[in-house]
Amino acid sequence: MTDVVIVGGGIAGASAACKLAAGGLSVVLLEKQESYNDLVRGEWLAPWGIREAQRLGVYDCFGAGGAWEIREWMTWDEAVDPHEVEAVDMTRFIPGIGGPYSFPHHQVCELMAAQAADSGATLIMDAAKIEVTAGPSPSVTYTNSEGRREEIRPRIVLGATGRGCTVGRQVGITMSNHMHHWGGGVMVEGLDDWPADVQAMGTEGDVMFMVFPQGYGRARLYLNFGTKDSRKYRGPGAMDRFLKAFELECLPDRGRAVVESRQAGPLSVWPSVSSVPEGPPLTEGVVLIGDEAGNADTVLGTGLSCAMRDSRTVCEILLDSDDWSPPVFEPYVKEREFRLSRLDFGAQIISRLHVEFGPAAVERRRRVRKLMAKNFAAQVTGLLNMVAPEEVPEFGFSEFFAERLFRESA
Amino acid sequence: MTEKKIIHVNDVDIAYVDEGEGETVILLHGFPDSSYLWRHQIPALVEGGFRVIAPDLRGFGDSSKPQEIEAYTMQTIVNDIVAMTIQLGIKRPHVVGHDWGAAIAWMYAFLMPRRIDHLAVLSVGHPGVFSYPTLEQRAASWYMLFYQSPAAEELLKRNGWRLWKEIMGREGDYDRHLRDMARPGALTAGLNWYRANRSPEAELRHQRPFPPIYAPTLGIWSTEDKALLEEGMANSGKFVKGPWRYERVEDAGHYIPLDAPETVSKLLLGFLGTEQPAEPERRPRRRL
Repeated sequence: MTDVVIVGGGIAGASAACKLAAGGLSVVLLEKQESYNDLVRGEWLAPWGIREAQRLGVYDCFGAGGAWEIREWMTWDEAVDPHEVEAVDMTRFIPGIGGPYSFPHHQVCELMAAQAADSGATLIMDAAKIEVTAGPSPSVTYTNSEGRREEIRPRIVLGATGRGCTVGRQVGITMSNHMHHWGGGVMVEGLDDWPADVQAMGTEGDVMFMVFPQGYGRARLYLNFGTKDSRKYRGPGAMDRFLKAFELECLPDRGRAVVESRQAGPLSVWPSVSSVPEGPPLTEGVVLIGDEAGNADTVLGTGLSCAMRDSRTVCEILLDSDDWSPPVFEPYVKEREFRLSRLDFGAQIISRLHVEFGPAAVERRRRVRKLMAKNFAAQVTGLLNMVAPEEVPEFGFSEFFAERLFRESA
Repeated sequence: MTEKKIIHVNDVDIAYVDEGEGETVILLHGFPDSSYLWRHQIPALVEGGFRVIAPDLRGFGDSSKPQEIEAYTMQTIVNDIVAMTIQLGIKRPHVVGHDWGAAIAWMYAFLMPRRIDHLAVLSVGHPGVFSYPTLEQRAASWYMLFYQSPAAEELLKRNGWRLWKEIMGREGDYDRHLRDMARPGALTAGLNWYRANRSPEAELRHQRPFPPIYAPTLGIWSTEDKALLEEGMANSGKFVKGPWRYERVEDAGHYIPLDAPETVSKLLLGFLGTEQPAEPERRPRRRL
């Protein structure tokens, strides 16, 4: 008898499999990939997400999977005077936990899946055409690697398929989506002249750039850009254009360290969609976790931290209670709704501020920066990717604050 | 590679690779490796007509990982090898070691002169050379002192194993080393090798003179080794009574079996079984 089927072996699903299997439940983890590969997923884990990983018992999967602690955030940006660039120390936001991690997503997932299997979970790779039926006795059918159709009837299904929302759509959980910009990412190596402790996020011209070192001269690069450029980083020569986009006045040595790095994985671009569920992210016999349960704009970098918070909260409920009917998950639904509302609010401020381009946007950014320098409290939104959303002071989430932030500067 | 076998010796389970037929070669890895270090040499030696036994030494890989420091003294680990060869019915193997495995191989050779054919040691020289390390070698070995501290585990692991990564660099199987060390109890077990044998207290312990080594001995050192200086290997010849040969491998780092796989395989194939040992003095056995 299977207690839990988890659909999706990403950070949310694999960490849940670890926790539940360690707690003695009978778990099946379904993953669609044949083996874990670089799919250009989120690779930045906030300090509060690291604490979630510790609580889930998957902390070592990060270190061993290649996680690199980033210690400083340099605020290079066209709206910041080069000698006013600040180094933000990211290592002291949560006691006992250092700076955020940057890591190869697929390697960490692979280790988590292996840990879950060691704890007794059944790991099924290459699971195709997964179909979930909700109800008091839910069912999961899939095609295994030999092409045979299989069915499992567990007590509960966790949907953890990410932004694709495969399980959610099958069981009728609807999302309200909005898209602000596009994003793209790639792994590079040979970044020997980039300081390994330093991440950069900033805007210049028509791109918002991100550089997250992973140690040993490797880094994950992301670009966020307007919809008009949605085709720019695809097709022949895309990689050259992508790297060339880091040739920026605001970066030291005009970004030479990045521009001269070498591609070390696939380049991928996507519309940066955020999805807020229109009701609770669950139904009878099915609970959604991670990005599948709703997500904020990737620009905030809190997707993985959220995924593990979801995973921990839901696993604790499953391990504490024999009753797995929807009302039991009420604390999860409430906490998640509150959390996502804060993250979505913050992400909208960040993307308005940093992922809009053109002279008016630059002017706005310049003024908001000045305001933030004058009044430290105006930086409250920036706390969102360091400490857990509930720890961020409430005033940062009022329409009044957002209006003031943009009006005083407009 | 085939499945590892498990053998129970000295209260621990030792996992080992056992491949090929012919005279036996025992391959001993170092820190923080496992028998996997020898993946390029094993097929070459099997091809060359040898039976290869490559254990995961205690504390590493798939072998037991006792958590007490005393479980990792050199004598104990040499005993693992002796017990293993006795159980497997191997009388006179060739012994090859890298890093800590070389230290074990040296000791095996002078303690068990009749139970060894040829000796090949990579990176680490005879313990006699390390009895009085130069200040330069002490400086290069700073991490050995650091590992003595009970706080070392926590410091190495925290913030995503950051300090570990900085110390180990991007050498050898650095990714795999970290995964191995993240296994339960593995880091303490690995550090205990240093705690049991490389503490200042251990340096103070009275050392008897080293018995000579009669087996033909091949020493290999690589020019890009940052932790071990050439003097350690080059000056080891004076402890060897049998034929002594020293080879220096250019452009290879500390993990010679990985950085120069073909060179190492060729050196081993050319050396094992070619030289005659020096005859130990035979004292007449007193008969009762």
